[in-house]
Amino acid sequence: MTQAVDFFTADTEPYYLPLADEVEIFRAAYSARLPVLLKGPTGCGKTRFVEHMTWRLYRETANQLDVPLVTVSCHEDLTATDMVGRYLLKGDETVWADGPLTRAVRTGAICYLDEIVEARKDTTVLIHSLTDHRRILPIDKTGELVAAHPEFLLVISYNPGYQSVLKDLKPSTRQRFVSLEFDYPEVELEAKIIAHEAGIDEDIAGRLAVIGERVRNLKQHGFEEGVSTRLLIYTGDLISAGIDPRRAAQVAIVTAISDDRTVQQAVADIVDVILP
Amino acid sequence: MVNLAACEDTLALFTEGIAGRYLHIKATAEFANNRQLAYHSDRAGQGADALFLPEEIDAPDHHCYRVLVLEQIGLRECGTFSFRMERGLAEISELAARYEVPKGATPRTGDFFLLFSAFSQPSLATDLFNLFEKARVQAHLLRTYPGINRHMQRYHEHLLETAELHYDPLSFGHRSLWGDNEIPPEWQSLETALLQLQGPDQTVYDSVRALCQLYDQVAEAYVFDTLTAYPSPEESVPDWLNREQRIDEWDEKLEELDDQVMMADMIHAEDLEAERGETSEAAIRDAEVDIKMLMDERDTLKRRIDMEKSSVQHALGPDRSAARSYRYDEWDYLQRRYLTHWCRVYEESLLGTDEEDIDGLNNAIRHFQSIVQKQLEQIRPTGLQRISRVQDGDELDLNAIIEARQDIRAGQSPSERFYSRKERMHRDVCAIFLVDLSASTDDPVEPAEPKDWSDYDEDAADNMRDPWYAALTSDEEEPVVERKIIDIQREAMVVMASALDALGDSYGIYGFSGYGKDCVEVFVAKEPQEGFSQRTLQSIAAMKPKRSTRMGPAIRHSTHKLMQSGHAMKVLMVISDGFPQDSDYGPERGNHTYGVEDTAKAIKEAQQKGVETFCITVDRSGQDYLKQMCPDSRYLVIEEMEDLPDQLTKVYAALTGR
Repeated sequence: MTQAVDFFTADTEPYYLPLADEVEIFRAAYSARLPVLLKGPTGCGKTRFVEHMTWRLYRETANQLDVPLVTVSCHEDLTATDMVGRYLLKGDETVWADGPLTRAVRTGAICYLDEIVEARKDTTVLIHSLTDHRRILPIDKTGELVAAHPEFLLVISYNPGYQSVLKDLKPSTRQRFVSLEFDYPEVELEAKIIAHEAGIDEDIAGRLAVIGERVRNLKQHGFEEGVSTRLLIYTGDLISAGIDPRRAAQVAIVTAISDDRTVQQAVADIVDVILP
Repeated sequence: MVNLAACEDTLALFTEGIAGRYLHIKATAEFANNRQLAYHSDRAGQGADALFLPEEIDAPDHHCYRVLVLEQIGLRECGTFSFRMERGLAEISELAARYEVPKGATPRTGDFFLLFSAFSQPSLATDLFNLFEKARVQAHLLRTYPGINRHMQRYHEHLLETAELHYDPLSFGHRSLWGDNEIPPEWQSLETALLQLQGPDQTVYDSVRALCQLYDQVAEAYVFDTLTAYPSPEESVPDWLNREQRIDEWDEKLEELDDQVMMADMIHAEDLEAERGETSEAAIRDAEVDIKMLMDERDTLKRRIDMEKSSVQHALGPDRSAARSYRYDEWDYLQRRYLTHWCRVYEESLLGTDEEDIDGLNNAIRHFQSIVQKQLEQIRPTGLQRISRVQDGDELDLNAIIEARQDIRAGQSPSERFYSRKERMHRDVCAIFLVDLSASTDDPVEPAEPKDWSDYDEDAADNMRDPWYAALTSDEEEPVVERKIIDIQREAMVVMASALDALGDSYGIYGFSGYGKDCVEVFVAKEPQEGFSQRTLQSIAAMKPKRSTRMGPAIRHSTHKLMQSGHAMKVLMVISDGFPQDSDYGPERGNHTYGVEDTAKAIKEAQQKGVETFCITVDRSGQDYLKQMCPDSRYLVIEEMEDLPDQLTKVYAALTGR
């Protein structure tokens, strides 16, 4: 199987620091069952936001699921079959197995399709019927029309930064969603996030946030995106595990964002002057 | 000794990251266009869009270049160039006491000029001020970029060891900043001032205050020789940078004035209407006078801004902040060696405006579409293909399943590959079209071709019989316009662009020109990763004849970009109208061998890197030099200019279709 699916179970609250009114908007969209589109660069907190919102929302509903959030990370070989389900060969017979999307539609989970434009075009057909008033999922292989559970919500994300024009979302798809834009947080907020997530002191977290800010000035040079908040947190994690800050930045930032030697050296130089 | 050339690529990225905007990293020797400015070629400096660094420094390692870069960025971060004389006079009583408006000062006179004219020896005051600013900036850098500390220390220790020992206060000041503790007791006051300026909240005005306080004492230590006079501050770079920043402030003020004039106008109009009876004639007249004054003030300021902008540009050189620049080697065939980092290539986006005439280009696309597509169809991939017997897919492969069942029945373990899936067959081609934009492309095409497209090509005749085309050609009676080489180049480019877009290859369209080795220009009409859009058409329409044809660096730059694109197949097509030439392309201007040899070398380098090259020229005498420049069967001389789009497609199909 090539599909990349992970399930989220809502035990503890996922940390999320709101940057604007996105929490209120999402809540309102959920109560009206409006599908949501999250736009933003990689590692800026889109997935974490969905997890956080799922955690909040599912504490308030009666529908207590084991798996309230189904995340499908889309890639270019992901077909509609991977999401809906397929026939598997089991002993002497073929049996139908639901895909992650079908499961979410049936149980009423939130289904989060990460980097949707990466997936093949046939997946958009599924999205269309699920996101308008019909709220149904047609399964052509079994001839079934699955009506969505009342609690079901579709959330998709995409990254307008590096996806080529060819892979842009069609307006007919885009216009079915409430769109929330995400970006990397300001230096002060990002420092706070890093300090919390990695458990390091504010000073070094602040330095890491400044590194993030400066390295992002370099995007479009061999790496499509600047260094993400996620990478900065990784660096913080390594530091709190006792690794020397420069070495931590070397492995988590410098070598992670580009393969180009010149760019790597430049990023290493920036890291070098900002860290104490 | 460390060399700038060895680390300038990294340094440019480092600078962009730290400063948040692109700055050209130039060697101080490239300060050629600013000859009228006083400049120390052994020191770092900056212009509006560039940092100047010595080509070579006597330093322990190349990290010292980063120290120099940060010092320059630090000057901006610390607001050195935002010094305003007005505020200085208001805040610093010592300055007000010694200042007199110099003769001939106008509102456009630079603030630094005004400041230093308050001292008996302006040049000494400048040096002292620079020393203070250096102290302030250095402390700021150590606070903001603590990691630079160790590199700075090592560099400073090196400077202390190697610098000649002078017994004058300025040298002592510098030595103190480098960490020398042995400052003679009589200059303790200077050291104290330097230490104080290293505090966190010090501004440029604190430096000026320190200058006023210590200048007389310092000046006593020097004997002034009129022969070794310092250059006039009118020629100093910081003064111009200061004036450049002042323009922004004036622009803001101009906006304010504009708003005020508008407000006053509105109020006045209301007054006239609503209170005609109540307001006295005199009040109305007063209001009119006010408005008149405001408008006068605004117009004066506007004129001043325009004048200042042009003088700043004249002094600091044309603004190239929108461009990026790279240096490339050049092959000198006379000495049979590379001149390292010889040419500077500026890469700039061509931004077409809405006014560009793109109708002609659209017509060209429509006209050539069928012909071109017929040729490209041969290399068109088949699209989606169903691949059977794979481990994972969207459908079960019936044949494979039957076999698997047979295997199971026969007691053997079956193959696991019983799915089938659709796969897209794609080409991985990146092409760059490099179009000559030299001045000669402005020449008309000879002999004049029939302007009517309908009888242009026999192959196209089929399409032309189409009633729709017939209507198109008969209705439009085009006036006879002289067509130029550049027109046909542009048409060929849009035709290629639309055709390649349909084919799905990535392709870039660059124009090149320039003047001299320090100013080769590459204009980007379309980058390979961009899609084809209205904007592409506008950018292509914006390709205009410029200056010379220095082909070597343009080819090297395109090759560099192709290598970065990471595609499997890389194609570079050069479209020119004559031999390579430039003002300093070779020892003699009339002799083109040097240019041809360098271009040949550049093409060979590209080939060695795995780039397929092809040169097309519309110069009928091109056979001679193209034979020298290009590998066999990798060039084409086009006899009839109008054939260009057609030929270009043929060549492209042949090159990439294999």
